[in-house]
Amino acid sequence: MNAWGFYVATLLIYFGVDLLSGISLNLQFGYAGVVNFGYVVFQAVGAYAAAVVVLGPSGGVASFQQYVFGARLAFPLDLLVAAAAGGLVSLAIGMFSLRRMRRDYQAVVLLIVSLIAIQLVSADVPLFNGANGLTGVGWPLGQLLGISATSSPWIYAAWVLAICAAVFVGVTWLSRSPWGRSLRAMRDNEAAASAMGLNITALRLQVFVLGGAIAGLSGGLLVEYIGAWSPGAWGYAETFVIFTAIFVGGVGNYRGVVIGVLLVPVIFLEIPRFLPAIGYPGLIDSLQWVAIGLAWMLCLLFRPQGILPEKRLRVGRPVGPPETAVAPAEGAI
Amino acid sequence: MGQLLASSADGIVVAAILAVAAMGFTLQFGLTNVINLSFGAVMTIGGFTAYLANVAHLNAWLGMLLGGVAGAVATVALGRGVLRLYARRRTQLFEMMMVTLGMGLVIDYGLQAISQNAIYGYTVLRGAPLRMGPIAVTPIEVGIIVMALVILVAAEAALKFTKLGKALRATAVEPSLARSCGIQTGRVVLITWTVSGFLCGIAGVVYIISTQSVDYSTGELFLPLVIAAAILGGVGSIRGAVVASLVMGLVTEIVAGYGGAAYSTVAGFAILVVVLLVRPGSVSGGAEDRQLVL
Amino acid sequence: MVKPRVLAVGAAAALGAVLAGCGATAATKGPLVVAGVIAITGTSSFEGSNQYDGIPPAIYEINHDGGVLGHKLVFKGVDTRGDPADALPAVQQLLATSNNLVAVAGPDTGSAPTIVPVLNSAHIPMMAVAGESVYDHNTAPYFWRLFAPDSANGIAMGLWAKQKSFTRVAAVFATDPGSQGDLPGVLASLKALHIQLVANISLTPDQSSYQSSVSQLIQAHPDVIMTESDGGTAGTFFGELKSLGGLVPIIGTLATYTPPWLTAVQSAIGAADMRQDYAGLITAPSKPTAAVTAWDQAVKGAKSKLPVSVHAAQNNPFGVTYYDGMIAVALAMVAAKSTNPVDFNKKIASVCNPGPGKKVVYSFAQGVAALKAGKQISYFGATGLIKFDKYHNSFGGMEAVTSSASGSTIKLGSVSVASIEAVHVKGVA
Repeated sequence: MNAWGFYVATLLIYFGVDLLSGISLNLQFGYAGVVNFGYVVFQAVGAYAAAVVVLGPSGGVASFQQYVFGARLAFPLDLLVAAAAGGLVSLAIGMFSLRRMRRDYQAVVLLIVSLIAIQLVSADVPLFNGANGLTGVGWPLGQLLGISATSSPWIYAAWVLAICAAVFVGVTWLSRSPWGRSLRAMRDNEAAASAMGLNITALRLQVFVLGGAIAGLSGGLLVEYIGAWSPGAWGYAETFVIFTAIFVGGVGNYRGVVIGVLLVPVIFLEIPRFLPAIGYPGLIDSLQWVAIGLAWMLCLLFRPQGILPEKRLRVGRPVGPPETAVAPAEGAI
Repeated sequence: MGQLLASSADGIVVAAILAVAAMGFTLQFGLTNVINLSFGAVMTIGGFTAYLANVAHLNAWLGMLLGGVAGAVATVALGRGVLRLYARRRTQLFEMMMVTLGMGLVIDYGLQAISQNAIYGYTVLRGAPLRMGPIAVTPIEVGIIVMALVILVAAEAALKFTKLGKALRATAVEPSLARSCGIQTGRVVLITWTVSGFLCGIAGVVYIISTQSVDYSTGELFLPLVIAAAILGGVGSIRGAVVASLVMGLVTEIVAGYGGAAYSTVAGFAILVVVLLVRPGSVSGGAEDRQLVL
Repeated sequence: MVKPRVLAVGAAAALGAVLAGCGATAATKGPLVVAGVIAITGTSSFEGSNQYDGIPPAIYEINHDGGVLGHKLVFKGVDTRGDPADALPAVQQLLATSNNLVAVAGPDTGSAPTIVPVLNSAHIPMMAVAGESVYDHNTAPYFWRLFAPDSANGIAMGLWAKQKSFTRVAAVFATDPGSQGDLPGVLASLKALHIQLVANISLTPDQSSYQSSVSQLIQAHPDVIMTESDGGTAGTFFGELKSLGGLVPIIGTLATYTPPWLTAVQSAIGAADMRQDYAGLITAPSKPTAAVTAWDQAVKGAKSKLPVSVHAAQNNPFGVTYYDGMIAVALAMVAAKSTNPVDFNKKIASVCNPGPGKKVVYSFAQGVAALKAGKQISYFGATGLIKFDKYHNSFGGMEAVTSSASGSTIKLGSVSVASIEAVHVKGVA
């Protein structure tokens, strides 16, 4: 296996996984206005679910790793379980975090949920082997075909991108359906949407669970490629990287999300590896985060709609501009 | 029983540290309606300032004061300088929170670059513990508790009895009406940024006195607890923030005292989740976004 | 809906082409690359700072003494962030852009499960730091480990407690991966040695206070604490323990005897208490040999490249272990007369392990001279005797040390390999 091929294939796989995240968050945030700052939790849940149903029964305390629900399921049950786990946990968390609450409260509560989750998993070894995470996860579909993910990364990349394409088509179609239009109505004017007979809480929960299932799927795909998954990968900062991608690409525009995911988590985060080392070890990494913060702020300042802005709906009467901002108190300026 | 008493005492100490930060946070939150996610980063600025003051052999209390000043300067610069750029472009309330998040990233990782990602020890104001049965507290911890109480009383009194306090409450409720009543809302906002920034800086110093070290992520790690306490206490309520801090501090330390140290912060956060489940109305702050006041 | 996918694939292909272009320019003959594959940032970043105390001195010494077969060595840091998902593209990028890569220092505990197979199939020798017992019976030919497995470190701590007649142990470990990885070895060895565990306290890193854990600890009346955590957490915990008057002797894992931890705890409890109460169990440098002198010189020479003071680096047991690993790799290249890992990887054990008729050498220069004279060599490292077993593991005895106010290592006593191997621990894989 050529080293360059391996590297590029891995980037394609990461691109696919991040794109699934982007699609999921864009559906939740761009279409429904639900701010899921705890996104990475649902991805991790999917990954852990996929891992434990691929690894087989846990050897218990005597073995080098322990976990719950160990099983050995064949393709495609592994990925279905991952998606179902992401969806179920979303349902449970959505039940209390999606109540009628200010949007910024919701965002913060979800952020706190993601902090709780990482501490819970780190603290509780019998659950998912604590801070050490799980290793030795295989790829059930590959086993069926007699190949492994790391020896045939191009096949794995093709597989991930195929799933990505299917999800992309499905979610785009859903977003244009009447259901998608009611999501936008809810986002733009909750009171009006509610008055028209839309069940706001149910709509929010639906979009949250669907997004969670996609998150679980993406986590499953990632863990079956890497073969290991540890709580360290669950930092809430990962969620913000995808949010930056959506802001850069275009909120509410799936093609924009594709561009954003390519630009931010793939190209932008890979470029520093090619730079010569400067300063103390880790300086480039710090500066990279400073740059992400600045990119985020500049995007919100100069082009809040992103590279590809959301398209106006052409159905029926044109909808008004989305939620005009309240003018800041003039005396303050 | 001994353990319960000891843990409760520890819980009050933790609550006092949390309360100083939560009061500062809820003050600016209550007026501007922006959940300021760069609050933790400014706390870290306050902490580093006190650390530098200590390196320069300044008195520890003076260092704390300087930390507060640094917090106030940084907060005013961010609030008046950066956030107003966005307000002019009619950025919505929610996007404003995103802006503060970006700002927090820039400050945190800028500090990481400057501090070379190292931990700096900060040991000041140490003294022998005062003992009462199973309870043991150090003098500086008593000092922090007293300080939290003084801030609570002073802030409540200022809000209630002074002209400025009344102007602030009026602006928070209905800025346009306040303006038409002749209140200079701009000045009210500026003073609020200054005071809350000062408290934020002080909170950073108090925090590192307790942890005895400072690094770039000091405030970032503490911020979720601060926000949880502020939300639990109700928007803009100084009293509420203190009560919420007390509840969270007691729960985390009692859980830790009974062997669940690894779960202590989880338990602290869990209170917010439980309250959301049982009485969503009490903390939800209304379903609608409020007005941005800058 | 084909367009976005085409766009994505096209863009990825374009990215690949651009990157390939970069690689082509780098692929000229020149210096050999030694890469550190380790967490430089993230919760395990202390692993990275340990490595930076050891690799630059080794490279300095090798280059100063003429390089390897005429090639200079250069160092390249690769950040894993302690997470396999971040480590994988980082390592693949390394492999793609450096075809003059000869060895890797690492990978770290967090990324090892994913990275060891990748480097092994790329035929890159690695001097790993992962202490997991999975690697006690390693079969990957390019994997080498000079660090003691976690269980050996745990047994040494237990044996030291026995030597000092401690009977009531409290375990205080943070919930980060490094500390949690070392905890099972400690608990199992206490069981095997029949020492009572009176409290087992987990600390969530970076809390504002650990007072309740402290009072819980005090109420359990331990006569010794066994511990590992990051520096900041340890500083807060032991500072509070001291101010509440509960300070008892502390036995730390190998990971505690590193500059961040020592600095934080020393500043929190004071130099005098540190000197009196703390013992870290580290890989023993058996006796002051010429190898130790060479190491001290190398650290001085690499002064400008070190993240900490010369003094702190000289006393870092991780640093010196990395140093030995790199000197061994360089000598293997000279012995094999090849910089191709496929050739020299086989020589790594033979230039170190002692044997009849072998000349014992204590530095890179001595080794090169002996090899030029046509002799077989055995490199006796700054960490002491190196003897790789068939699983490519080598570890020596352990030594209990403490740190003086100025950061010098003060030897307290030692625990021999034989006594460690005599303890049979159950339940730790």
